[in-house]
Amino acid sequence: MKGQDILSSINHDSGMTVPDNYFADFAKKMEAQLPPQPWESEDPVVMPRTFWQKIRPYAYMAAMFLGIWCMMKTFDLMSGDTIIPVEKNSQLMSAINNDAFFNDYCTPTFDESDVIDELYDEGFDPSVITASY
Amino acid sequence: MPINSSNINDPQLIERLRDKATCREAFNEVIRSYSEPLYWQIRRMVESHDDANDILQNTFLKAWTSIENFRGEAKLSTWLHKIAINESITFLSNKRKRNNVPIDDESSMLINTIEADTYFDGDELKQQLRKAIAMLPEKQRLVFNMRYYDEMKYEQMSEILGTSVGALKASYHIAVKKIEQYFDELD
Repeated sequence: MKGQDILSSINHDSGMTVPDNYFADFAKKMEAQLPPQPWESEDPVVMPRTFWQKIRPYAYMAAMFLGIWCMMKTFDLMSGDTIIPVEKNSQLMSAINNDAFFNDYCTPTFDESDVIDELYDEGFDPSVITASY
Repeated sequence: MPINSSNINDPQLIERLRDKATCREAFNEVIRSYSEPLYWQIRRMVESHDDANDILQNTFLKAWTSIENFRGEAKLSTWLHKIAINESITFLSNKRKRNNVPIDDESSMLINTIEADTYFDGDELKQQLRKAIAMLPEKQRLVFNMRYYDEMKYEQMSEILGTSVGALKASYHIAVKKIEQYFDELD
């Protein structure tokens, strides 16, 4: 048989087959296999916000600032640059008011000329003392 | 075994596919209506039933996941056939790479598949025709299958394949000549 005749004799049938009920079964399987579309999923339930949930960000922010302040204070104290007034330092005040301690430990270390210079710097007037005698 | 999906009312079905409330139900109808024509389209490309089954599933899954992109400008059948053809070509390309088959030797891979196919009840002549088709280049094979087995109109083929009607007619004519020559050489 010539090639031309073969094509017409085969009559558009490939001879391929499928298992029994294949297309019906396939459709059922395929339908069950389709994933849900985004619009098919249920809307998420929105729970009302509690008081704590509302103020939480502000509370966290306040705590953060407080922490920063505490940290700065600690570093400040650690650096030792803070000058505490003598009047507020009870230990120093009691030592100064104790004459024995002052004479034993402080007076020997003073240079008289330094004391006089400092008195003059602070505006000391020697005539006040001489006038009193 | 020509494709017969003329009983499917495309415009109405497309409307239902666009409506989110009826989309799934409409797509189930699409599966029931188009699984057979698409299956044969794929099967004639890849030759194996199991492979065709997998590709058909992928085709519908792809269509379902991109259903929002289908604007209804093209026919539903054209859109589905395009997806099926792309999936088949991708499958054959991947299979060729997996088996280290050179690009110009795809026919031998297909002939091996034809010989191992258990879902076939045709005679020797039909088997030989399958082998002759397998030896055609990919595009000619597609055109021949669509025209000879599915009796598809050239205009529809042109929409699916994006090739002019004239080029398709020429392609089919060349394919027929090659097949006739194949049988003449067998004698």
